[in-house]
Amino acid sequence: MTAPLDDADGGPGVATAPGQALVHCAAVTRTYGTGRQAVPAVCQVTATVRPGARIALTGPSGSGKSTLLHLMAGLEPPTSGSVRWPGLGGSPAGRPGVVGMVFQGPSLVPALDVLENVALPLLLAGANADDATERAHAALERLAIPELATKLPEEISGGQAQRVAVARVLASRPLLILADEPTGQLDSETGARVVSVLLETADELDATLVVATHDQEIADRLTDRWEMADGRLTAAVQTW
Amino acid sequence: MVTGLWLRGLWRRRAGRMAASAAGITIAVALLASLGGFLASSKATMTARAVHGVAVDWQIQVRGGADPNTILQTVRAEGGLRPAVPVGFATADGLSAATGGTTQSTGSAVVLGLPPGYRTTFPGEIRTLTGSADGVLLAQQTAANLHVAPGDTVQVRRAGLAPILVRVDGLVDLPQANSLFQVVGAPAGSQPSAPPDNVLLLPADQWQAAFGPLAAARPDLVSTQIHAMRTTPLPSDPAAAYTSVMAAARHLEAATSGVAVVGDNLAASLGAARQDAAYAQALFLFLGLPGAVLAGLLTGAVSSAGAVRRRREQALLRIRGASGRQLLVLSSVEAATIGVAGAAIGLAAAAVVGRVAFGTFGFGTSLGSGLLWAGGAALAGLVIAAIAVLLPAYRDVRTATVAAARREIGRERAPAWARSGLDVVLLAGGALVVWAASRNGYTLVLAPEGVPSISVAYWAFAGPALLWAGAGLLSWRLADLLLGKGRRLLTAALWPAAGSRLSPTASAMMARRRRPLARSLVLLALALGFAASTATFNATYRAQAEVDAQLTNGADVTVTEPPATTSASAASALSAVRGVQRVEPVQHRFAYIGADLQDLFGVRPDTITGVTSLQDSYFQGGTARELMSRLAARPDSILVSAETVKDYQLLPGALINLRLPDATTHQLRTVPFHYIGIVSEFPTAPKDSFFIANASYIAARTGSDAVGALLVDTGGRDTAAVAQRIRGVVGTGATVTDIGTTRSAVGSSLTAVDLRGLTRVELAFALVLAAAAGGLVLALGLTERRRTFAITTALGATPQQLRRLVAAEVLVVTVGGLIAGGLIAGLLSRTLVSVLTGVFDPPPSLLTVPWSYLGIATVTTLVALALAAASAVRQARRPPTSVLREL
Repeated sequence: MTAPLDDADGGPGVATAPGQALVHCAAVTRTYGTGRQAVPAVCQVTATVRPGARIALTGPSGSGKSTLLHLMAGLEPPTSGSVRWPGLGGSPAGRPGVVGMVFQGPSLVPALDVLENVALPLLLAGANADDATERAHAALERLAIPELATKLPEEISGGQAQRVAVARVLASRPLLILADEPTGQLDSETGARVVSVLLETADELDATLVVATHDQEIADRLTDRWEMADGRLTAAVQTW
Repeated sequence: MVTGLWLRGLWRRRAGRMAASAAGITIAVALLASLGGFLASSKATMTARAVHGVAVDWQIQVRGGADPNTILQTVRAEGGLRPAVPVGFATADGLSAATGGTTQSTGSAVVLGLPPGYRTTFPGEIRTLTGSADGVLLAQQTAANLHVAPGDTVQVRRAGLAPILVRVDGLVDLPQANSLFQVVGAPAGSQPSAPPDNVLLLPADQWQAAFGPLAAARPDLVSTQIHAMRTTPLPSDPAAAYTSVMAAARHLEAATSGVAVVGDNLAASLGAARQDAAYAQALFLFLGLPGAVLAGLLTGAVSSAGAVRRRREQALLRIRGASGRQLLVLSSVEAATIGVAGAAIGLAAAAVVGRVAFGTFGFGTSLGSGLLWAGGAALAGLVIAAIAVLLPAYRDVRTATVAAARREIGRERAPAWARSGLDVVLLAGGALVVWAASRNGYTLVLAPEGVPSISVAYWAFAGPALLWAGAGLLSWRLADLLLGKGRRLLTAALWPAAGSRLSPTASAMMARRRRPLARSLVLLALALGFAASTATFNATYRAQAEVDAQLTNGADVTVTEPPATTSASAASALSAVRGVQRVEPVQHRFAYIGADLQDLFGVRPDTITGVTSLQDSYFQGGTARELMSRLAARPDSILVSAETVKDYQLLPGALINLRLPDATTHQLRTVPFHYIGIVSEFPTAPKDSFFIANASYIAARTGSDAVGALLVDTGGRDTAAVAQRIRGVVGTGATVTDIGTTRSAVGSSLTAVDLRGLTRVELAFALVLAAAAGGLVLALGLTERRRTFAITTALGATPQQLRRLVAAEVLVVTVGGLIAGGLIAGLLSRTLVSVLTGVFDPPPSLLTVPWSYLGIATVTTLVALALAAASAVRQARRPPTSVLREL
């Protein structure tokens, strides 16, 4: 599902043919700060995510995995290069439900309870309140955390919050799921279950899944692997 | 080391919050320093005006048997006095004059003997109306009684001696007749109610020739007073000046061994001024202190807007081993930094306010007073900083666990005050105090004559204070109720702002954050309530000051004609003067009721209100409009003083026969009137008893429509210029006064001091507070919610959806704040006017609502809220991941 390296196009990174690409990054660089303080988080990355892919984005901490996911989610503009979403009909920014993002850190709205947090992207996408609530309940059931529905984010643990974040993504049934260390705060058993839910949901929805992780076991459960180091995409491997 | 690191971190990372907290303290310090400076300056002005308004500082009565020359030498030996002069007082049996073929006689008259140069030394005592300024002078009312003018001869009848004849050189007015003819040394309350009706002034040598022999025969009819003016500088505070003058007078009495009694006009005037100063102090307390408290609350709210984050930061420090003491040291440093910065900027701001509003950096007060107020204000700023920053930190360290400290929302139970119903208790207490203050016998300031101490009913301050606090807490309770249990209602109400899809989410967010939202709403309501009630009080005060000035002057411009010289048709000549809109003639006669002589004013009841203001409070037995209608409908109606009603046992409809001069026969003739109501005050009328009747009826019955005054309406514009033009028309025979001059000469009162400066300062600060309470607090609250907006954006919210979420919150704070603020303003305005009723002269019938200021305050607040909302929306446009990374 990923194309071989193309030195001429993306340097030492991974290049893929655009074709029916869901997301296409072309020589994307993202730098934080300016001048001598400038720190390149992602550097000259060219890559394509095709529909139905199951990609494990691996690499050590600080290698640029999260930033690349944010770029693909349209949450950050590239400093140079371009990101296009030909398979999504344009940027997903301001289009709730197109891309589902599971953030690495706390990402629940503190003033909403768990159920309302899960329903929020549905409401933003225009669903009526009853439908949104029903789907949010279903997502919580799917993650086996229905009892958290009326809890506030500050009343649940970090691991539970991460599962709620996953439930929020599932409830919105996106075309592309981007998960940034979704199991980082979970024990191995729960983590494995969450990944299973992500995979099952992606299969059910015929969605594409990109998971940033440094957990080898999780990476092994996905069909493709992109490796990053120092902001660059160093390898793209189809493992299955 | 850690402290320095922490402080640097605060200024680098939390500069906004620190600056906003310091801004709150700046407002409090600047307000206190400005108002304090103004108060000190006002007191000095009151003292200066009190001194300036006294024509003769001391009237030293020489007791019978004592040698006036010895007393005079003793007085002149006292330090701090201008050369004192002797003034002769004699009582004549009566005066007579033969004019126009008839002879008029008066009852007893007082004849004064004035030494040369008296009018130069005491310029405020005598005012020339017509004729010469020197020689034999006759008081205006006496001249009217005798029908004499300059050049006529008056016969003075002396007890047991042959009458003498004097030729009148001029007619004069005695503006301070009450004090001039006081019974020196008489106990308070036993002074004659009115000065003598008939007064003749003779040069000292002529008086000596006429009454020297009488002094030998009838010493009870002749006496000597020594008039003196003090030159010793007085303390700027009226109370201190009063004490100083009283002590000096007693010193003189001791030096004269009791044969001289000091009539201390200066102390009497300063006594009134110290009462006004006490009122000014009360005004400062009632109007200024709430502003400082509000600024303190604002600082607390600003500080608490970042409380969650501070608690988290402190929790992190505690996890890393910081002790509670270390945390308190860090908070102390933060509080001190904010307090010192806020106080320094506040004092600088106060200086700028002084320069802008009063033309001087120090508000015209002395260096000592200025430094005292500046120090006090700075100290208050430091206390506010400690309460706003240090106290919460101390509470957190003492009570909160690390886990609890890291919470942002929480499911807090109702605060203790809400559970105990403190808001209702405060409101009930406030209502009780206001009720007590509304009862008869309540006096905010009591300054008994001759007693150095002043009694101020400071307890009355509890009325508006309790109502203000109670209304604020009740607003909080209602807002909390609406945002919590009233969520369904709120959801429906938010549809227009948030849209049908997002309104449940918006209301859910607000329900969880109802405490900070309620705080923002209440703070806005209190600030608006403060601004509106202060403005309403000031507007009402100004309106009443204007009424007072109009009461004294009569109208925008008033032309006072010599007696019986001008017909009502003279009004048409004035109508042609540029700037004159309307002219209203008012008759002025003297009428006898029984043996009493009183002023009678003849008015045109249908048109009098076109040029002057008649307040309902002037009358009893009907409103101003009703009584004027009755005067018009039944021309023989008459309004009399309450004293006359009591003295003559009058009932409504009672027949009153007055004796009035007849223009044809020059004799007094009886004219019947019917009593319809009581009048206590009327434009141009004296403070004592007088009558108001229908002018056409008086003209018909006396054969003369001669006017005493012409009231001129200029539409309130260019009164001084119009008065000058009128002077050119009427010549020197008439006296022309304009309301502007009268306003500044009403006397040593609060009205005269004019609270415009206080108004300007207060209203400007109220505006800043309202804008800050709305905009700053909301902006900081929204800033603290950047995470929420960033997450919402990351979930795909469109800019419009974000705007709607922010708008919903702003809408709740704005509408709630405006409604609660309006109600609080109405309540407080009525309460302030009720409790401070002694400040008003005359008391207001209705509140004067300053709509333009209220409009400006509302628009300013709305703009501040809109800017806060726009800032939040703009911040939310940043890449959400950048925001989340920073937080």
